[in-house]
Amino acid sequence: MSRSKLKKLGLNLPILPMTSVGSFPKPPYLLEARKKFAAKQMKHADLRELEIRATREWIRKQESLGIDVMVDGEMYRGDMVAYFAENWEGFKTSGLVRSYGNRYYRKPIIVGEVKAKGPLTVDWWKFVQSLTEMPLKGMVTGPYTMMDWLFNEYYPTRRDACLAMAKVIRGEVKSLVKAGAKIIQIDEPAISARPEELPEFAIEAMKDVTKGIDAYFITHICYGAFEFIYPEMLKLSVDNFDLEMSNSGLDLLKLFKKHPFTKDISFGVTDIHTHVIESNELVEQRIRSALEVLKPEQVWVDPDCGLKTRTTEEAIGKLKAISVAVKKIRRELEA
Amino acid sequence: MELKAANNGSYPRISDDDQRHRQAYAKLDSKEIAWDDFEKVQDEVTRDAIEEQAKAGLDIVTDGQIRWYDPVSHIARNLEGCEINGLLRFFDTNFYFRQPVIKGKISRRDSLAKEYRFASGVSSKPVKQVITGPYTEAKLSINNSKADFRALVDEFAKVIAQEVKDLAGAGAKFVQIDEPAILKKPADFAILEKAVKKISAAKGGIELSLCTYFGDAAPLYKKLVTLPVDTLSFDFTYSPSLPDLIAEKGCEKNLGLGIIDGRNTRLDDKDNVLAKIVKIMPAVEGETIYIMPSCGIGDYLPRGTAFKKLQIVAETTEKARQMK
Ligand SMILES: [Zn+2]
Repeated sequence: MSRSKLKKLGLNLPILPMTSVGSFPKPPYLLEARKKFAAKQMKHADLRELEIRATREWIRKQESLGIDVMVDGEMYRGDMVAYFAENWEGFKTSGLVRSYGNRYYRKPIIVGEVKAKGPLTVDWWKFVQSLTEMPLKGMVTGPYTMMDWLFNEYYPTRRDACLAMAKVIRGEVKSLVKAGAKIIQIDEPAISARPEELPEFAIEAMKDVTKGIDAYFITHICYGAFEFIYPEMLKLSVDNFDLEMSNSGLDLLKLFKKHPFTKDISFGVTDIHTHVIESNELVEQRIRSALEVLKPEQVWVDPDCGLKTRTTEEAIGKLKAISVAVKKIRRELEA
Repeated sequence: MELKAANNGSYPRISDDDQRHRQAYAKLDSKEIAWDDFEKVQDEVTRDAIEEQAKAGLDIVTDGQIRWYDPVSHIARNLEGCEINGLLRFFDTNFYFRQPVIKGKISRRDSLAKEYRFASGVSSKPVKQVITGPYTEAKLSINNSKADFRALVDEFAKVIAQEVKDLAGAGAKFVQIDEPAILKKPADFAILEKAVKKISAAKGGIELSLCTYFGDAAPLYKKLVTLPVDTLSFDFTYSPSLPDLIAEKGCEKNLGLGIIDGRNTRLDDKDNVLAKIVKIMPAVEGETIYIMPSCGIGDYLPRGTAFKKLQIVAETTEKARQMK
């Protein structure tokens, strides 16, 4: 339980803190602008202006819903792996690879030693944090997911590639913390890809990223085969696991009953794969189910995953349902 | 015992220089062209994919599964009693498939034999037809029918057995049933076994293969060798212990060695590959060892790299032949 750690960091969060996983839908004007920019019909400065506008809008929206820990909504980036790979040294781009249906993309290939050119997300983080009084998460993609979602032609093994990633990501995390970030999220959606690699090196890599750094660490994991990595995954050196719970009908709670969940959790209470906006009652019910197995001090509440694939209305609807349900249960807990 | 160079399954449909399939697909989507026009492009691209595989030096090719939207929904689209839903990640890859939703009793509208006939008609090499297996189809579907999971696997097995029978009628010699999902739940082996028996009963003169990938087959090896199939194919990139295990336990069947990494662009070290083949060779009592990529390469590798991978398959097969 890391309530005391949060306090020590100067973060006075209410019970059941509300947050988001990371991405929000990009508004139509930004999607349009990104297309134009890709087709070289728009200057980067003009695109930047619209990214800033969209980010401001999402910050205001989160504030008005009473969200406690902010995200920037990722208006400036597309893919969470490619963004880092494109801005670090040691990569080249592959030929076209299929993503689904008729969709293709270029996947970065590690061809040399991976190095940062300097802090990457820090200036943006500082700017967005300046827009709000609420704490803003610093966001990086985790070493295991970077390794698993890239082609690797340079490092002899998956382990070597993963640990090399960890070193570079640690640098970015340190810079974020130095700039004032107190909550750092390390996205590891792929962590359960090969369960045997968790004890072999994924846990070690996470330790390499977070060790000795004074911040509250969250890791986001989704689409996982949790039954293969739980409870082993609790050894990942973070304070909070942000998990996709609702997409699987809260099945994970059964595992938590067998092996107690020993860390904090950001409990996903809305399914991001469906267009349907969950009712306040359903979200409430999911939180109550969580509280049957977990202590209130352990639990944060958020959507299952990034909301970027939903429409703006759906995303706001889902956040609103969370806000209403959390506020109701908070009142009960405080009474 | 004979060594043959084979493709595992899919082959990339586009490259940076050749995007006919992608463009035609977009035109089909926006209704600028009709389905028949699109099929003509699919025919052309299939023919080219087959030619490239032969050019790389393979002895057994596939149709590249150019017509497959993905490994799961291609089978399901052809079924009454089934709808196609949203995207879901395909195992631990960065590729997404559309999830079938089973609404009621399933039955075929058409047959894969049509695809086989086209492919074998334009190929200078024998064509292996790949089919995603009943267990994996059922596992990756949303089941809203009255049937429970076991019954659904049985229904898929019935449909796929009919498919295999049609393929035998069309003259197919090689059919590969893909069952990657069983590696995630070995406890379901009995369900798989029942389904494979049903398919095997329909195979006629076909050399029937069962293929797993994206997981370690070693824990299930002892059981898999008891299945009524002619060939077993495994993904060796997930299983460091498999060569030793096979060398120790032996194999009475033909063996497909998915030994060239189908998921990474790094070109495999040929000596390393060869060492594994040499270790396994003496243990195989079946007639044929197939050297293959570890999985279908159509959805994971750029086409240029895919071609080079198949060249490595052919070269290591040739080298292993000389060492026999
Ligand atoms: Zn996620």
